[in-house]
Amino acid sequence: MIYVVLFFLAFSLFLYVLLGGADFGAGIVELFSSKENQQITKKTIYRVMGPIWEANHIWIIIVMVILWVAFPVYFNIIMISLHIPLTLILIGITLRGVSFIFRHYDAVIDESQKIYNGLFRFSSVFTPLLLGMTFGGIISGSIIPPEAIHQYGFGEVYIDSWLNSFSFLTGIFFSALCAFLSATLLIGEADEAHEKIYRRKSAIATIVVVLSGSILILYGYVNNYVFIKDFIQNPFSVSLIGASALTLIPLWIHIKKGHKILSRFYAGLQVVMIIAAAMIAHFPYVLITKQGELSLLEGIAPDSVIRVLGISLIVGGLVILPGLFHLLKSFKMIKVLES
Amino acid sequence: MENLDAARLQMAFTLAFHIIFACIGMVMPFFMVVSHYKWLKTRNQIYLTLTKSWQKGVAIFFVTGAVSGTALSFELGLLWPEFMKHAGPIIGMPFSLEGAAFFVEAIALGFYLYGWNKLNERFHWITGIIIGISGVASGILVVSANGWMNAPSGFDYINGEFLNIDPVKAFLNPAWFSQALHMVLAAFTATGFAVGGIHAYQIYKNRNVELHKKAFRIAVTFGAIAALLQPISGDISAKDIAQRQPVKLAAMEAHYNTEKGAPLYIGGIVNEETQEVKYKIAIPKALSFLSFGDFDAEVKGLNDFPKDTHPPVAITHYAFQTMVGLGTLLVIASLIFFISYKRKKWTAKNKYWLLFIIMAPLGFFALEAGWVVTEVGRQPWIIYNIMKTKDAVTPMPGMVYSFYMYVILYTILAVVVTWLMQRQIKVLNKTPIES
Repeated sequence: MIYVVLFFLAFSLFLYVLLGGADFGAGIVELFSSKENQQITKKTIYRVMGPIWEANHIWIIIVMVILWVAFPVYFNIIMISLHIPLTLILIGITLRGVSFIFRHYDAVIDESQKIYNGLFRFSSVFTPLLLGMTFGGIISGSIIPPEAIHQYGFGEVYIDSWLNSFSFLTGIFFSALCAFLSATLLIGEADEAHEKIYRRKSAIATIVVVLSGSILILYGYVNNYVFIKDFIQNPFSVSLIGASALTLIPLWIHIKKGHKILSRFYAGLQVVMIIAAAMIAHFPYVLITKQGELSLLEGIAPDSVIRVLGISLIVGGLVILPGLFHLLKSFKMIKVLES
Repeated sequence: MENLDAARLQMAFTLAFHIIFACIGMVMPFFMVVSHYKWLKTRNQIYLTLTKSWQKGVAIFFVTGAVSGTALSFELGLLWPEFMKHAGPIIGMPFSLEGAAFFVEAIALGFYLYGWNKLNERFHWITGIIIGISGVASGILVVSANGWMNAPSGFDYINGEFLNIDPVKAFLNPAWFSQALHMVLAAFTATGFAVGGIHAYQIYKNRNVELHKKAFRIAVTFGAIAALLQPISGDISAKDIAQRQPVKLAAMEAHYNTEKGAPLYIGGIVNEETQEVKYKIAIPKALSFLSFGDFDAEVKGLNDFPKDTHPPVAITHYAFQTMVGLGTLLVIASLIFFISYKRKKWTAKNKYWLLFIIMAPLGFFALEAGWVVTEVGRQPWIIYNIMKTKDAVTPMPGMVYSFYMYVILYTILAVVVTWLMQRQIKVLNKTPIES
């Protein structure tokens, strides 16, 4: 059953990165657009993302619930040492969620739109940046385990754990991934005149992804980060990254030829491969503390709990996934089904 | 302010906020679906306009409830990491099912909001029903997790360790049913009267009366039925608490000394120092009867429990009195509402509408007071008789700043949502409607 739970954990995480990530990225793309294009992007995002907008963000709750139920020790450590960035993420999620709804559901369209738009764009950049930084914190080796926190000062325990160059680079990298996903998705949703805009955005985002990814690896390597060392030495991870880079070629070809579905598929696959490479590099040691690495499976919940959780997840999955799929299909998120 | 107090205030504040939005998001879809049904049946344009305007309300409340709920799922860990470390695995089942129910709700909402003129009419309407049902399901599931904190079960507690965990038993803890029933009815009462009150205000101001009367009727019917059922559920809860958490019952009633044939106190000012309740009305033997169904039953007083396990007596007592008092007013209003079906003359009077305007916030005051009874009455325990709240709090210092930040953020949010609703109604009243 633990494998079922791990599968759902990874599955939810991937879907959060893909769907939620594309959603965050939409705000980033909107921010970095000219005034006129911002309006077009806003409308496109609403049309494309609107129906599945809520569902996109529930994956993070599923991830949280699985973590606290099945991996309580692990959850306990990140909740204590990453308290500040997680709180900031919550603010970001809150502002983003409400501004998205407010700007589309306010009965009167007036100056207040400016505030909603500003909030939406700002939180769309801020939130994935902090999500990336939190993940960077988890693997940067600066976390201090709860039993040792009294030996350190406030700054070392609660600030240095996530506010360091390594996790900042991870944050930039993750935000770029989101922008890349979103721009590639939007290409297929724009009319011919605007397609060009998103193609350019997608190309720029790709460059930022590659650049920030390389800098992250280089920085980690030079400064002896355990995670990066493991990453580079792991043949699976390296080949996945290589494969992800190679997929850029078919991606570009399909974008050029206007194959909407295939370009989406390749963009998604690329991101999945990158995240999977990072996960495999270190599995099952997902948390790197100052005093060593901690396995996800350490302090795992008892069998009886894992069994019930696994069953709940399977039942939930059977209910949710067909519904979600039907929703995506109904609103033409999956164009492949139309032909 | 101490860290523990700040964390408790933050939890109380964010929960109190979430509960309002979650309840409206959970109950309003039912109003929307009824109005939608009437539109499909009668093809009366008014019902379509009403359905569409309620749907905007549902969207706004759902999202505010959803983001504050996401925040809470993090906050449980951020504020009470020691609690979640042990309790997380035990009460994971209701939470994981709640995640699924919430997901279904979000999917159904996607269909409903965007499905107009795209989906088959009947399927579209059904997705509205699914929003309502899954919303109530997630409410019940979350309350079940809270029930476990009041009635911890499904594990053996040996030498400070939680062993032999049985998640199903923890899920179906002794408190889940009475708490969930009470909560769902409270949500319907509070939302029914709140929404009804807003429409009553529009009728009072003579704006778009035909539409608002239809809206009022749908909303208050739900609220009134729930309000009339609530005393039964309250009685089940009281008997359950008397059995399981006698110290909470004693605090609710500000009852210090154990006695047989205990009187029921109504009102009164509690002095925790002298252990006296002044200016109260005492109904002889009523407490014994209400708690145990026997006029001479013995009710344990606070003095029978160690002092360090007493909850804050005054707050619990006042909150309980507030809840029962407001609940009684709502029952009376419900009766007036049903009688007005027969006596149509009443609804022609402005006084009638004024009454429901006054009732509008009372359900939510009662509901919040009820949560104060449940949560403050459980103190000093976070898991009743197992783990104290002070042992569960995060070691992270400076929680007071986090608390202030949430107060500012959520206050602004509450003001903005109120303002948005007002704008919705204004626009709605300007829309010409042909029947």
